[in-house]
Amino acid sequence: MMMTAFDISASALVAQRVRMDTISSNLANMSSMQRDANGEMKPYDARYVIFQTDDRISTPYGATGVKVAAVQTENVEPLYRWQPNHPYAIKEGPKKGYVAYPKVNMNAEFVDALVATRAYEANVGAMEITKSMSQQTLRILG
Amino acid sequence: MTAITSLPNLSATPLTGGVRPQASAEAQKPFKDFMLEALNEVNTMQQDADKAVQQLVTGGDVNAAEVLTTLQKADMSFKLMMQIRNKLVQAYQEVNNIRI
Repeated sequence: MMMTAFDISASALVAQRVRMDTISSNLANMSSMQRDANGEMKPYDARYVIFQTDDRISTPYGATGVKVAAVQTENVEPLYRWQPNHPYAIKEGPKKGYVAYPKVNMNAEFVDALVATRAYEANVGAMEITKSMSQQTLRILG
Repeated sequence: MTAITSLPNLSATPLTGGVRPQASAEAQKPFKDFMLEALNEVNTMQQDADKAVQQLVTGGDVNAAEVLTTLQKADMSFKLMMQIRNKLVQAYQEVNNIRI
């Protein structure tokens, strides 16, 4: 009885939650380093999520849920600061003496967070509508 | 004013209800099997909701939205089962009141 509708809305809530987690991670790691595969320190790469329709949660009429297909990292030019005595300063090359910092666009992240919040609210509203429809259906039997 | 054009086809799936098929094939299956299957499903859903709530309350790695959705679904199916039971009891009482 409208069980799939609940599942679809719940999948959207989970997906927006994951998106909000990546936004929090980006904002928290605005100035941090991470170790890459070779064990060297390089600036944090901002992450973003890719959503995709989830065919496992679907109705016969074509309504589908959503799933997080992948969490991608961005490849942008890092921010360089002149800090020759920093332990992670670049040792040779044209950028000698500079330290590479991540370039996280704070305004874009906050706008994304706004979109995620509104989407979350909208899906909770859809779930409330489905719930009230189900309760009204039960009134048929009295 | 542009002429009236038909809407593009929204989807190709036919709009038959999902309920009609197999009505004849399952005419042989007794009604109590339906009831028992439905009861089992409602029971499973209640148990799932129980486990999910326990995991959430003990701080496990489970999403609050999914737990609440599971609870809501279990509640909905239980209410439906109660209404069906009420109707069945009503029918039974009516049959009982037939005076010979």
